[in-house]
Amino acid sequence: MLRTRLFRTSSFRLAAIYLGLFTLSVLFLGAVVYLVVHSQISAEIDQDVEGESAALLKEYSAHGESGLKATIAGRAGVVNSFAYGLVDASGKLTAGELVPPPGAVGWVTLREPENDEPGESAVDVRARVARLDDGGALVVADEWRSAPGPMRALLSAFAWALAATLALGAIGGVLLSSQALKRIEAMRSAAQAIVAGDWRRRIPETGGDDELDHLARTFNLMFDRIESLLEAHKAVGAAVAHDLRRPLTRMAQRLETQLARESARPDTAAALEAAIADIHAVLATFNAILRIGQIESGARRAGFRPVDLAATAREVVEAFQPAAEEEGKTLTAALDEALPLAGDRELLTQMVANLVDNALRHTPAGTHIVVASARHGGGGRLAVADDGPGAPEAERRRIFERFYRLDAARSTPGDGLGLSLVAAIAELHGMAYAAEDNAPGLRMVVELPKPAGPPSAA
Amino acid sequence: MKVLIVEDDAEGAAFLAHGIAERGHEADVARNGRDGLVMATGPQRYDVVIVDRMLPELDGLSLVKAMRAAGSAIPTLFLTSLSGIDDRVEGLEAGGDDYLVKPFAFSELMARLAALARRPTLGAEPTVLAVGDLEMDLIRRTVKRGGHEIDLQPREFQLLEFLMRSEGRVVTRSMLLEKVWAFHFDPQTNIVETHISRLRAKVDRGQATPLILTLRGAGYMLRASN
Repeated sequence: MLRTRLFRTSSFRLAAIYLGLFTLSVLFLGAVVYLVVHSQISAEIDQDVEGESAALLKEYSAHGESGLKATIAGRAGVVNSFAYGLVDASGKLTAGELVPPPGAVGWVTLREPENDEPGESAVDVRARVARLDDGGALVVADEWRSAPGPMRALLSAFAWALAATLALGAIGGVLLSSQALKRIEAMRSAAQAIVAGDWRRRIPETGGDDELDHLARTFNLMFDRIESLLEAHKAVGAAVAHDLRRPLTRMAQRLETQLARESARPDTAAALEAAIADIHAVLATFNAILRIGQIESGARRAGFRPVDLAATAREVVEAFQPAAEEEGKTLTAALDEALPLAGDRELLTQMVANLVDNALRHTPAGTHIVVASARHGGGGRLAVADDGPGAPEAERRRIFERFYRLDAARSTPGDGLGLSLVAAIAELHGMAYAAEDNAPGLRMVVELPKPAGPPSAA
Repeated sequence: MKVLIVEDDAEGAAFLAHGIAERGHEADVARNGRDGLVMATGPQRYDVVIVDRMLPELDGLSLVKAMRAAGSAIPTLFLTSLSGIDDRVEGLEAGGDDYLVKPFAFSELMARLAALARRPTLGAEPTVLAVGDLEMDLIRRTVKRGGHEIDLQPREFQLLEFLMRSEGRVVTRSMLLEKVWAFHFDPQTNIVETHISRLRAKVDRGQATPLILTLRGAGYMLRASN
């Protein structure tokens, strides 16, 4: 997993691009050196051949054809790199071994007849042809030295250099990107922990001064800021709820005291009772807000015990069944698949109860509600599904927000916090939650995390 | 019933004391934890102690722990504005017997106080409960009314058992939710009412004298005919 990601990293890509550019420049350099060296060597050989040819022509003008023949024969016996050829006016070879093409003058390319060594193929040599006064011609070539030999050595040197470059570049790229990948992985896991609700988590800072260090510091500052904003936001809600509880409680108490005194007058008593009920409802909402805040703080995780969510759901279904039947709805359980997890039984019970409550409150008589458990992608899944009117997709996404209520649900009682509590409890347990289209109806789903196994590669 | 109220808020304490007195019981008030401990363990015998969680001098949890350490077994009810999830568990672990979050209906408080004050002393657990002509065998898990066996679901049995153990006392909806279903929250759906009406159909239908009574705005009561 790490390996495939390694090749996708930006630093690896960067290293690959640099390697490509470097390879191109090595190739360009090789081509230039090749051309320069090749022309230099060729010029040197040409010069030597020209010199030899001139010396032989001088011999010819001094001693004639016979002198030239003798010189060629003499030189051929000496170990040197030149090869010769002398032909008469009819084109017949009279000395040496090279035969010039008829009529040619100056530089030509000859195929040297290779005789004694059968394994060696014929090679092309560059030869200089000079016309003699008698109509014959003299050919001189350097048969041992030619440009392709040294050029081959040069090319193979370049090929090795290129291979070494590619190997070093690839290794360097992998090292460089795995280093960068480790730090980016650290950033990613920190960010993921924060997304999961661990607001105290920060990206580890190495104390260095490169771009990644700057990025880490900037992100950490951003996380600090978000955390303080979030805390301020929560604190305001909690403080309002907390501080208003005492005066409201007293108000309710005074009204109750008054109610006891005024019980003789039924109309006053009814008004007082209604006022007390309203205050209690407000206080219940405040308590729900504080409770959600408390669950979201995650402090409850310490008390997690092994729980079977399916068994918990079965108890909830059993508790709600008579009430559902009373309302002309059916509530059934399909909870054969156990959903074991480490959790808080009391909160999980409330989570399922809120989901069932929600399904009962927003559906007409005749609705079928099914609470079902199933295996799902390594973990488990609990669904509370109804075949009622359902909710449009845009609203389904917002259904878990605090105080959010569907337009259609405004007339039914409820504080708009029941599903927020579901969301908070699900999040506390690392469960994903969603409102899905049951076509028709609504299907509320919580998905259990995979059972704790070996931690994924980091 | 003699009640000790340990509450630092003067108005809250007065409200409690007044309400309890009005319902025909006696109430004393301690304004901090230390005084509360002295009074609870003193010569005056109280049937039940109401303790606020947040108290000066000695907080409510420590007060109850100290009471229990001193050998006092007086039933204790925590009264608090802390609706925290762990607060109830903490309170019960400290030796408290019940827990009530403010605000509460006075009828709820009185029902819980009555249940605590009449909590049976430790002794031989009865194996048979009887109210009028209704009989419950706790060993064989059978229920008979007037000699005829009544077939109950396990949860209905638990519900009836709780009502019979609370014979003649008011049990509130939230008390039933807590004791029978272990629901420490109040569902929007009235699940208690429907369970009670099913139980009533099995226990009281066709009988001259109903045993299960509904007390409007307060709760339920099981008692033999007056």
